[in-house]
Amino acid sequence: MCRVLDLLLAAAESPVMFPDRQSRSFIDTRVLSRLAGLPLFARRPMQGAVSGRHASPHRGSSVEFAEYRKYVPGDDLRRLDWRAFGRSDRYYVKEFEADTNLRCCLVVDTSGSMGFGSTGITKIDYARRIAGTLGYLASQQGDAVGVACVAKGVVQNIPPKRNAAHLRQILDVLEQTQPKGETQLAAVLHELAETIRQRALIIILSDLFIEPEVLRSSFQHLRFRRHDVTVFHLLDPLELSFSFRRPMRFLDMEGGPAIFAEPNDIADRYDKALQAYLTDLKKVVLESAIDYQRISIDENYEQALVRFLVSRAQSKGLR
Amino acid sequence: MSFLQPWLLYGLPLIALPIVIHLINQRRFQTIQWAAMMFLLAAHRMARGYSRLRQWLILLFRTLAVAGLLFAISRPLASGWLGVAGGSRADTTIILLDRSPSMQQRGGGTGDSKLESGKRQLVQALETLGSGRWVLIESTTREPHELESPRALLNLPSAGPASASADLPMMMQAAYDYIHHNRAGQTEVWICSDLRESDWTAESGRWSTLRDAFLELPQQVRFHLLAYPQPAPENVSVRVTEVRRQTTSDGAELVVSLRLSRPGVDEKTAAKVNVPIQFEVEGARSVATVELTGTYVDFKEHRIPIERTRQRGWGRVSIPADANPADDDFYFAFDNPPPRRTIVVAEDPQAQRPLQLAASVSPDPTVQCSAEAVDVDQLTTIEWDQVSLVLWQAPLPTGPAANLMKSFVDRGGQVVFLPPRNLTSDELFGMRWQSWVAENDPVAVTSWRSDEDVLARTLSGAALPVGQLEVLQYCKVSGDATPLATLAGGAPLLSRVPTEQGAVYFWATTPSPRDSSLASSGVVLYAFVQRALATGAAQLSKARQIDAGATDSESASTWVRLSEDEQGLSTESRFQRGVYSAGDRLLAVNRPVSEDNIIEVADGRVSGLFRGLDFARVDEQAGNLNALIQEIWRVFLVMMLIALVLEAALCLPKVARTAGATA
Repeated sequence: MCRVLDLLLAAAESPVMFPDRQSRSFIDTRVLSRLAGLPLFARRPMQGAVSGRHASPHRGSSVEFAEYRKYVPGDDLRRLDWRAFGRSDRYYVKEFEADTNLRCCLVVDTSGSMGFGSTGITKIDYARRIAGTLGYLASQQGDAVGVACVAKGVVQNIPPKRNAAHLRQILDVLEQTQPKGETQLAAVLHELAETIRQRALIIILSDLFIEPEVLRSSFQHLRFRRHDVTVFHLLDPLELSFSFRRPMRFLDMEGGPAIFAEPNDIADRYDKALQAYLTDLKKVVLESAIDYQRISIDENYEQALVRFLVSRAQSKGLR
Repeated sequence: MSFLQPWLLYGLPLIALPIVIHLINQRRFQTIQWAAMMFLLAAHRMARGYSRLRQWLILLFRTLAVAGLLFAISRPLASGWLGVAGGSRADTTIILLDRSPSMQQRGGGTGDSKLESGKRQLVQALETLGSGRWVLIESTTREPHELESPRALLNLPSAGPASASADLPMMMQAAYDYIHHNRAGQTEVWICSDLRESDWTAESGRWSTLRDAFLELPQQVRFHLLAYPQPAPENVSVRVTEVRRQTTSDGAELVVSLRLSRPGVDEKTAAKVNVPIQFEVEGARSVATVELTGTYVDFKEHRIPIERTRQRGWGRVSIPADANPADDDFYFAFDNPPPRRTIVVAEDPQAQRPLQLAASVSPDPTVQCSAEAVDVDQLTTIEWDQVSLVLWQAPLPTGPAANLMKSFVDRGGQVVFLPPRNLTSDELFGMRWQSWVAENDPVAVTSWRSDEDVLARTLSGAALPVGQLEVLQYCKVSGDATPLATLAGGAPLLSRVPTEQGAVYFWATTPSPRDSSLASSGVVLYAFVQRALATGAAQLSKARQIDAGATDSESASTWVRLSEDEQGLSTESRFQRGVYSAGDRLLAVNRPVSEDNIIEVADGRVSGLFRGLDFARVDEQAGNLNALIQEIWRVFLVMMLIALVLEAALCLPKVARTAGATA
């Protein structure tokens, strides 16, 4: 863990370590230090290759008792519980939970709409910060981390791996990616559901400007593949409040037609459309058992991450 | 709608100002790169209903506000006078005012007559419109009178009611003459009339001449017709058809015949009414009631006893007041009938004798008749002032004799020409004898005018036995005359030459037995001669019934009014009903018989009369209090304010929404 932090600190402070980057603006080492004590848990059993802190669907040799099972020929005799035999004159095998690592796949929406930001920070910047921080935390606890930048298709994809150098590559990708083009998130999620073979923690960072019903099948596809899916729904406060005061000409950041509008005239209908969308989206994520985090990007991302990690830890039963 | 300041309407394109401002504002929109387009698109889709309507309403109200302002300052007028639209203040305004008795018909509302309503509405309209000069041409004198202001129309005696008919073509001619001679600039001609056919004579050829004349005027002339065409169906009028004094065994009496008519009612559905008729003779009044069932009834030979010593006098017949007071009374004058003297000039003794007999036998013992046979050479020795009828069976007179005949007819005398045996080519009154036609078999009379003139039915309704006449020889006559009787084959037997005064008749045969049976079956000849004689004698009577406006102003200047119930200027006497004394004569002036004819000029015909001219018409009703023209700029100002208030209400920002949804 310290090794990775050192690498990050070095990357932030020393141009020698990463000669092509002076610093990573979306990584705040102080936030990383403060969040280091909060583990990133998966909500569902993972099928890792090595031991870790995540539950595995298989029985293993951890200290966590799982169950008694009747002995069947072929079982390792060393795992017979002789005390239980003494009490019941029957052969039982004592089984323990297996802990394993997880595969964390960060899916970052890099479509044009992610370039919007009215508070000095864009949604893609916010997504970089969350993705970078979560990637660091996962890597810190020995999990494999990968990233997929998606827009109309998969722009860039780095499969999950669990080494520190891989994290640097992920950070490079996050830093270099720019918001551009249309959003085809639903199709891309279908594609990722098929390409990510093992169970993984899939963290989606997007503004989700797609019809919720279109997203439903994508989420269900991911869930069908037994992935633990988390969505960070990033919205700008201006998109939520629509607090314009003068006539505006709205240019579509994804290349669509421009719209002239008198905000006073359409604010009500805009709000109605927004609320309908959020309601539908909430219904979709609930029905799809998706961990959904709606975030206004004027909120401190550290707080958002703490809320997310704590909720995960609580569901694990640690706190 | 019309406007007093129409040139301000050139600013109407300014109503596009809100649209232009809207377009400019669109160009001043702040542009922003926006991500959440899906919500904007959804909001726009939802905006297709009320919100889009609201936008259009705002634009509409802004446009209306500008238009309302422009219309208000253009000083709009509320009227049907579309012809005023686009016009500016006229240089000259000529008012053609129909003062005829029919214009005194009263209507609902204020009870004002058509004339009063028309004058009031004209005053209001003309005061609103303004003009450099106002000129009145009324229907009696047809002389242009300049007015100080339109309001003078209300008090001007020469704009009051009259008993004379109107002659619209002559009034139009007077208007044309005024415009032509005074070289008026832009001229408005306002015609106030009730469209009676008798006043308009729409079929007259004068209209086309007038129309062409107005079209050739260099200046712009607009015509506005303020029409009051509504007749009063229940209006009853009275007219004395005959009055004569006769001596009885115990004194004297007046024999009065009159006609009550209500031409506006349907003959089949007309209700029966009893009309009390009041006779007033020299202050003595009597009443008789007449039952009126159809459109008219003739009340004949009503006898009113008078003093034996009263040889002449006047009286009045009245009926109760109704819709038109102008036809509710009728004046008459009476006198001992003058001797009926006839001059017979005949070359054929066989013709002369029956003619002389027919003229000398009086139908009334109280009336003296005499017939004197003279030669042509003796004509100058005759006292023509005492002659009522000339029977001429000789070659048409020429030279001084012809002039004598013409002056005799112009005085009102009656002349009857019968064909001479020896025809000449001389011509008189536009007529000339052509040739004799002898038939083997007697020629019958196939048709004759039994409704009017000298061959009309008798008072009892019996027709004259004209059809029993047999004509053996007749003489063809050429010239412009109206046939009163026609022979089989189409040749005229009796013709009347149209003259302004008196009457000229041409018989195609003579009473000679070898020519016709006029003498042997003498009823027709006798009735003819006596009727012509009576008409001629009436011109010599000291008591005469004349139509209002039928005499010239010079002869009327000495008239003294005897009837006191009608007031007016002495210069107006000849146009006002009443009884006047003119020297030793009594004149009863009444409305012309044409005024009892309620036929109106059809709408299409009226339009046709002004075809090609700038013409507008509005129909009004007597007693209508509404002004013809009203300035309604206040209405537009209010409309503008309403539009501004509505626009402001629609533009009010909505109540601030609560904070938008947050994460």
